Amino acid sequence: MSNKIKTMLAVGACKASRSALRLLHRGGTTTPGRMAMKFDRNILETVSQGMDIIVVTGTNGKTTTSNMIEHALSGTGRDVLANKSGANLLPGVTAEFTSNATAFGKPKKHFAVIECDEGALKQVVPRIHPKVIVVTNLFRDQLDRYGEVMHTLEEIRKGIKMVPDAVLCLNADDSLTASLALDVPNKVTYFGIDCPIGEQKNVEISDARYCIRCGTEYEYDYHTYAHLGGFRCPKCGYRRIRPSVAVTEIEKVSSSGSVVRMRFGEDGNRNAGGAEDRDGSLENVGPGCRIPSAETEREVTIGLPAVYNIYNGVAAIAAYQAAGFDREEVIASLADVHSSFGRMETFRLGEVPIQMILVKNPAGCNQALSYLAGLGEDYQAVFCLNDRTADGHDISWIWDADFEKVCRGPHLKHAYVLGDRADDMCLRLKYADAEEADIEKVQDNAALIEKLKKSSVPVFILPNYTSMLSLRAALGAITGKQEFWKG
Amino acid sequence: MSELKICHLYPEVLNLYGDRGNIRCMQKRLEWRGIDAKITRVGLGDRTDLSDFDLFFIGGGQDFEQEVLLEDLKAGKADSIRSAIEDGKTFLCICGGYQMLGHYYETYDGVKCEFLGAVDFYTKGGNVRMIDNYAFRLSEESGGSTVVGFENHSGRTYLGEGVKPLGTILKGYGNNGEDQTEGVRYRNVFGSYSHGPILPKNPEFCDFLLKTSLERKYGCFDLEPLGDAFEKQAHDSVLANVMAGTAGKDD
Repeated sequence: MSNKIKTMLAVGACKASRSALRLLHRGGTTTPGRMAMKFDRNILETVSQGMDIIVVTGTNGKTTTSNMIEHALSGTGRDVLANKSGANLLPGVTAEFTSNATAFGKPKKHFAVIECDEGALKQVVPRIHPKVIVVTNLFRDQLDRYGEVMHTLEEIRKGIKMVPDAVLCLNADDSLTASLALDVPNKVTYFGIDCPIGEQKNVEISDARYCIRCGTEYEYDYHTYAHLGGFRCPKCGYRRIRPSVAVTEIEKVSSSGSVVRMRFGEDGNRNAGGAEDRDGSLENVGPGCRIPSAETEREVTIGLPAVYNIYNGVAAIAAYQAAGFDREEVIASLADVHSSFGRMETFRLGEVPIQMILVKNPAGCNQALSYLAGLGEDYQAVFCLNDRTADGHDISWIWDADFEKVCRGPHLKHAYVLGDRADDMCLRLKYADAEEADIEKVQDNAALIEKLKKSSVPVFILPNYTSMLSLRAALGAITGKQEFWKG
Repeated sequence: MSELKICHLYPEVLNLYGDRGNIRCMQKRLEWRGIDAKITRVGLGDRTDLSDFDLFFIGGGQDFEQEVLLEDLKAGKADSIRSAIEDGKTFLCICGGYQMLGHYYETYDGVKCEFLGAVDFYTKGGNVRMIDNYAFRLSEESGGSTVVGFENHSGRTYLGEGVKPLGTILKGYGNNGEDQTEGVRYRNVFGSYSHGPILPKNPEFCDFLLKTSLERKYGCFDLEPLGDAFEKQAHDSVLANVMAGTAGKDD
């Protein structure tokens, strides 16, 4: 078969199966991609050719960061393709591009923002040649699928090395993520937060306590959350590099968003290595250091709450300018960025306000729990825990998340629990000091919705991935919210 | 008031799979019975005298961090741990913490890493990871109850001649995926591949450990039964799914 015919068959198969699946009210996110790849193994390369693409990967914040970039690009009138459904493995990404191509496989859009699974990066990026790759952060996540954090880091590194022309956009505050710069040929730019947030103590569970280069325990000038912050190795000199896009001060945090001060300048010396620092300058030593003359500062409003969305915002700005766009565009659009699918998404069930916060791993879950604990008002909480393949079969991470924060607080009035592993979650809450009488297992989404309708206080739902998908669909149907592929 | 002194060894390194849930579980189950639980975290470089503790917990960790740990063991803790074991102190050791008690770990590429040698067994790296929910039955001398958990290891552990396993596999891989054994039981050392963490869903096993430790300290010791409805429910539902092969659906 000629290449042209293969391409046409692949596009046709992809589009036909996607339409068919959507008629059946299924998202159709991966099967169409698999079909396309069967007809033409190189289909993704063909249907993404010549596009300007930004890829976002990392443990937490992929979807929201992508959404922020996409919002800015489409808000300024550009035609953008994005895998909003969160199908971020090779078949899902393939389906998205193929569905947005002509029958001959020519891309219909010029720009793309793609969130990509860490393990799938090495399959996806060599086919789509992104201009920029953002790595948001690295935390323990789905250990049954990836093994350990170091293994995940290695997988990301493999992907990056395959596209040396892509600009890397890294979280300066994460010693794991930032270490990617140490041995890849790519140009690198950094984003981060210059100031301390929350309690300034070493966290009990850290995924990166010891220097990735020499094994010595890091010292911190300040912490933001989990293992993120102003790290430096006292022995080999590996340390946080002063990022070119950074938050310098958090002025206001509320449940509707944050107002922060940011500075924009140049990245510190990437080859900085303490005593080995080539130019011997003190440019890279974190807050309070010499400020390059070209630096500017301004206030930025991020229309989504919680600290991790500040990180997502600063990542989006760094990526946006690294891809050659005007950063003022993304800064302006961050103020009215809407939540993405299940991530801080709000619903109104009758009179009851509901917010859904996707939690998939201890770092993200702790952020969500801190958010609840800091609200200062009464609420009901819903915890949904599944253990399907997309969630990871291993749910032991719930014991690494600090449910104590909310269970011991005065404002959690009642907790509903559901999902394949509801019994495990009930047990976790019991050992986090919730009263057994306040923990109620619910059979399914329909039963839950009936209970929530009667709530006299706001409801916060913390589901993991597949439980979010099903609950989001059930809530969407009853509150009139659209299914993701229509949004 | 009776009191149990629990030592959480290397909590800053060996904490990969919800390991601290085991500490929380022991602590709560002691407190609910009016027994004082004194938890001490003993980490790298910490020279706290280990002879004062009644019960030790060692969890699992990342390979990457193993080197720092072995150095610290050599610097003094290895001898203290061996004498505590011979002294009949209770040890719960999971995954990496379990492997660490054996003679050595030989990687798949043939690199040998010398471990404590406190118990007669060794571990060899395999090329497949043994990952899934699993279940095993504890031997009579470890209480005889059924344990459910999650295993995730590429190391295959082989027990020495006459060394007793902790239990027998009902479903899953266990020590090596070959001989149906799971974990090790030596004196009052309980080693297992089960994280998850192991204790909250297996309250009988947790109480067996606590009782073992309390009896060594106080002689005969009866543990008051607790209302374990949540615990039993979680144990039974996972066990049913594991045995039926329906735990962790694809879609």
